[in-house]
Amino acid sequence: MRTSIINIICAALFTGAALLSPPAAWAGSCCGGGGGTALMLPSFYQGMLDVSFDFEKYRGFWNQDGKVTPDPPGSDLRQYRMNLGYARRIAKRWQTSVVVPYVWNDNTYSGLSSQTEGIGDMTLNVWYEAVDDRSAWKIRNLKDMIPSVTIGASLLAPTGISPYDDVTSSFDITGRGFYRLDGNILVSKTVNPWSTSLSLSYGKYLERSVNREYGKYVEPYQKNLGDRTSASVSLSYVYYIGTGGDKLTGTGSFSYLREADTTYNGSRDANSGFRKESFGASLAYASTDHDWSTRISWSHAVRQDGWGDNFPITDIYTLGVSYGFR
Amino acid sequence: MGSVKNSLLVMLLLILLTGCSGMTDDLFPTGSDKRPSVQCGVTGPMVCQIGPDFTLTDTLGNSVTLSSVVTTTGVQGAVLYFTMWCPICDTHMSHMQTYVIPAYPNVRFFVVDYVSGSVADAQNAQLINGYAAAAFTVLVDTDQSVLNLYQATMGTTIVIDSAGVVHMNEDYKDGVRLQNVLAGLP
Repeated sequence: MRTSIINIICAALFTGAALLSPPAAWAGSCCGGGGGTALMLPSFYQGMLDVSFDFEKYRGFWNQDGKVTPDPPGSDLRQYRMNLGYARRIAKRWQTSVVVPYVWNDNTYSGLSSQTEGIGDMTLNVWYEAVDDRSAWKIRNLKDMIPSVTIGASLLAPTGISPYDDVTSSFDITGRGFYRLDGNILVSKTVNPWSTSLSLSYGKYLERSVNREYGKYVEPYQKNLGDRTSASVSLSYVYYIGTGGDKLTGTGSFSYLREADTTYNGSRDANSGFRKESFGASLAYASTDHDWSTRISWSHAVRQDGWGDNFPITDIYTLGVSYGFR
Repeated sequence: MGSVKNSLLVMLLLILLTGCSGMTDDLFPTGSDKRPSVQCGVTGPMVCQIGPDFTLTDTLGNSVTLSSVVTTTGVQGAVLYFTMWCPICDTHMSHMQTYVIPAYPNVRFFVVDYVSGSVADAQNAQLINGYAAAAFTVLVDTDQSVLNLYQATMGTTIVIDSAGVVHMNEDYKDGVRLQNVLAGLP
């Protein structure tokens, strides 16, 4: 009970920090997953608040050879996340944002049940709108084909509960325990009612000392996680509802994620990297003034051999709402 | 003035936050050796202590007692690896089976399943994970008693010599530490 209250206070403090400081982003979570949702301000908006709820259901994993392996019989593994995000424009072409997840782990096996919770890893972002989409309505010449280009950097901060904290079990984990610095680029082009985007990200973790594993002090060593590469392509269609300007946007996407091998004291562990490919679909509704928007999304990992390596197979369902300040 | 005030408030919040849930351990990691001094030679799960004895059933229905295993003539010791049949566990077990077990024929290797509530479920998990003909024996810790005895969790690897002394109790990582410890067994 006491732990729960402390956790809630911590979450509240984090939310406060999120609202007062600049920054936004891509939430990280326990086992390399995370929402993967970018919080980015549309043009002409000065700020945005975003709250989303993720439900992640585990459906086995891909082993090292990419072969689908079921979870143990009688198991039901879930993770719930509430992501609080705030974005703020700091200059005409610059924006920052922060996303803080709060994580609930709910794991049931035939012989064990565990429910734990805690703050996840926080992400801070800064974005620069390098190139504007010159024409979102009609292509008249080659220049109208120029897409918008946004580049940015993210810092994943290890604010979650990691294996190196004072925990007793792997079930307690809500974060990875490492700082990571990402370089991001988002290219998108709209020709109403269609829109397409490509996002690329490359991240490097910062090596750290480890002197404790799951609450037990061990002989200190240096550990670093492998470089992370992610890419996503999407295609959207906007449907205007009636004549008032309300709009419904449907999006289909494909994402690729890869993390290279971990190193221990500089030596590579050849079996520790992972890969995941997934499809996504989302539906977003924005009101006439576009200040409010809501969305539902589904990220689906194909439960077939070869669509991932050494990584859990999950479906992620998200419900989110955001409000923009002009 | 307002921005200075806001910045100070943010800094204050961040300072308060760093006190939450031992968060500073990850925000400001340290490499200092904080292993507590333990009393060697007494029963306990830590290195240099005498590993607590136990009896578990394996997935073939046999009863396995640790003290009987390690004191068998010709046996140099035993390795316990704690699994919950997760991707990381699978990687560790596969590595151990391919690279470690063949090099130490006089050591007995056990994988302790602490999440399956019955021998039948553990046997099923072993089969669907592709370890039907494994070089290790899967023990079923239905009430997590051995997990608790050794203060273990997913990936914890224990090495016990023929005298019952614990030589390693930590995460498997890349298996190098395990091999070094096994190479140094008396």
